[in-house]
Amino acid sequence: MGHNDFLSNAVPVKVNTLNFIPPKQRELKKSPSMPSFYKFENYTKHRSASINRSSIQLHDTNTPSRIPELLQEPPVDTVSVEDSFVDLYIDRNEESPVRSVFNRASSFQSTTLKRRSDITDPQHFDRYGFKKRTQFITEEEYDRWWSEYSQYCIRRKHKWRNFLLKSGLSLKNDLPEKFPPQSEKLKRYVRKGIPAEWRGNAWWYFARGDEMLNKNKGLYSKLLKKVEENKNNKNIIQDLDVIERDLNRTFPDNIHFYRESFQKEEPFMIQALRRVLLAFSIYDTEIGYCQSMNFLAALLLLFLSEEKAFWMLVIITKKYLPGVHSVNLEGVNVDQGVLILCIKEYLPELWSKMEASMLNTTGQKSISQFEILNKLPPMTLSTASWFMSCFVGVVPIETTLRIWDCLFYEKSHFLFKVSLAILKLSEEELLERKLSISQSILATFSNESLEHINSHGSGGSANHRSRPRVEDMTQDDYDMLFFQVIQTFPKKLLNPNDIFEKVIFKKKMTLNKLDQEEIDKVRKYVSSQRDKWARFNKVLNKDSSNNGNNDPGNKMLYKNLDDTSSIQEGTDNISLSNEEVMDTLLSEVSGFKRISLSGVNWNNSIKIRVKNIRQKK
Amino acid sequence: MLQFKLVLLGDSSVGKSSIVNRFVKDTFDEFRESTIGAAFLSQSIKIKDPKTNQDVIIKFEIWDTAGQERYKSLAPMYYRNANAALVVYDITIADSLLKAKSWVNELKEKVGNSTDDNDNDNDNNNNNNNLVIHLVGNKLDLVEDDPEMRSVATEDAVKYSTDENLLFKEVSAKTDFNIKEVFQTIGEKLYEIRQKELDNNNNKQNKGEINISLPRPSTNDSTSCCS
Repeated sequence: MGHNDFLSNAVPVKVNTLNFIPPKQRELKKSPSMPSFYKFENYTKHRSASINRSSIQLHDTNTPSRIPELLQEPPVDTVSVEDSFVDLYIDRNEESPVRSVFNRASSFQSTTLKRRSDITDPQHFDRYGFKKRTQFITEEEYDRWWSEYSQYCIRRKHKWRNFLLKSGLSLKNDLPEKFPPQSEKLKRYVRKGIPAEWRGNAWWYFARGDEMLNKNKGLYSKLLKKVEENKNNKNIIQDLDVIERDLNRTFPDNIHFYRESFQKEEPFMIQALRRVLLAFSIYDTEIGYCQSMNFLAALLLLFLSEEKAFWMLVIITKKYLPGVHSVNLEGVNVDQGVLILCIKEYLPELWSKMEASMLNTTGQKSISQFEILNKLPPMTLSTASWFMSCFVGVVPIETTLRIWDCLFYEKSHFLFKVSLAILKLSEEELLERKLSISQSILATFSNESLEHINSHGSGGSANHRSRPRVEDMTQDDYDMLFFQVIQTFPKKLLNPNDIFEKVIFKKKMTLNKLDQEEIDKVRKYVSSQRDKWARFNKVLNKDSSNNGNNDPGNKMLYKNLDDTSSIQEGTDNISLSNEEVMDTLLSEVSGFKRISLSGVNWNNSIKIRVKNIRQKK
Repeated sequence: MLQFKLVLLGDSSVGKSSIVNRFVKDTFDEFRESTIGAAFLSQSIKIKDPKTNQDVIIKFEIWDTAGQERYKSLAPMYYRNANAALVVYDITIADSLLKAKSWVNELKEKVGNSTDDNDNDNDNNNNNNNLVIHLVGNKLDLVEDDPEMRSVATEDAVKYSTDENLLFKEVSAKTDFNIKEVFQTIGEKLYEIRQKELDNNNNKQNKGEINISLPRPSTNDSTSCCS
């Protein structure tokens, strides 16, 4: 039910439009029943945006039975209803030991209180409290897009309501807690976007949050207690400092997360974020805290109550992205290997460019897939973050949320789909940029460097190489351009439909073949390949040290692999069973191609079988 | 134009991204989102060839990395083929210097460092890459406001840098103090090394790729050997 918190004991809201009118077109409303998306409108007047949420939580008559026990726990902020709309950052509870822990200000915080004043004008923010303007999108662009997109959202919500009502589901308070069973129709609806106010509930429902919570009743508050008891014990809370340093570096441009200089207490959201991350770090000690989880938790907190956000974080890191946040980050490396194989399979043109780039970097004449999967091309430095943060901060917020909708409904293969779609679009952008940049390099060059060459004749060896023409852009130039494009291009994907309708959702698109089974299969394959590489190099390394091999490049690699492999052996979820090793050995000869094709064939055959069964019915 | 790959390393929240953003975009954000994975940026500077006094354009391709310990397993990917490393610590947090030192050790062990000029003719040198390492103490502005906040004495860092043959400066990304200078120094150093390499390879037709061949004993001091 998640964001009941948004709508709380709502006056049955006239669903249709209210929730989707862009903030600046609406009058200020003070009703506490407002979805918190809009609370920031009150913000400039009352400076109480984030605290409203806490009061709403208590207000909330629909709070499910699991939550109250948590709310009654002292660690949870217990702000009374009357507190709303006054400055609640004043610490009215100074004696509380809990507060003193959680308010522990690091030197980092104490120096970072200033804010530009223009930031407080509500019209600069979107409905989630994020600043509309980014480095890549102007506020005008945002407003122009939103005026259309908000209409789209209204239409979609109408359809969702009808769909739910036809499925016999309750829309009480405009906040469904249950959703229809899995179907192609539901998938299509999810891909077109879940209504923003329902997102918390929908994510929770699709990810089977209740199952998790019911199995672990009361655990979250126990964890908070343990955090409190060990507040200074770095042996127990090892990630204390790292977490603390990241709190103020999480959504610093979102009104729910930043603190005005006059606010004595941290925003509620920062406190909640601290509690969730600390609790997680002692809950799952194999992961502890990994940078990027701050963004996952923060986004969850905007849509779900604190306890639910915590469990969703557990679900994401365990079920959806296993190993991605672990201490050795092997899961993310495996996923990058998988992504590369997907590129090879689905974006062959891009693949050939990547291959050329890798040959250029390594200076080799050929490079085996085995080696690629283990060394991973530099591009994966960028794409790794796509997976770790599930696209939070990688693409604009509305697009991120759409991806999350599908992630929870369709599972992790969707992240690969999105990655491929973004890479495909980037490729097009790359071609355009390549032309224009080559031209601009030419122009700059003739203005600056060329001058020197002309005036000084042989301008020293330094000028030797660079006389760029469009056709002889070097591999290095191309690589740099590519890095730039894949880093900046996604940040301009303001409209989710640009990738959803044009690429992912498109019928006849080859990407449609990619599904969870295939990804799981390839994940296994890559994981075993990397494992084998590590063992292989361990043996080689012993040999080479005996032979006095002095190649530092190899040494570096060996050492690194040694390190990771030793960690690998210690962790259950990555170590391989005999069966898996056999699998690897069998597939070794033909590699991904075979695996992937067989995967696709297998999937197709399943699909056909399912079809047949349906027809029989 | 010469292109060099530069990588930023250092503990979380010492200000790596702030330094890059000051250098590349001349902006500073008090609140900056933590870097996940790595960010890529590029920026060019002009330096003077010390012998011919000509302007030379140096383009840095900069890899800004995430600081948390566990991202270290990705590090070889960052510093593979790097020409320079900026190792950053926070002068108000003593522990961050320790982390910086461990980065320096790792770099020296795995990539090698040639800030030391005497090293250049050393054929036994295990390195195949002349990596320039610049140590940087950031957040000088905090100490100017409140000297009590300093946790790493300048002299200590200077001594360490001398012992380890590192370039060193204290900077402030916030006030833009010494930021450009750091990159300027690195650029000059890289240029110097490049020129030496060219001298050493003077018989080869140099096409300008980033040249990683082992330096050989120099027999020719001319700088314009390849032009």
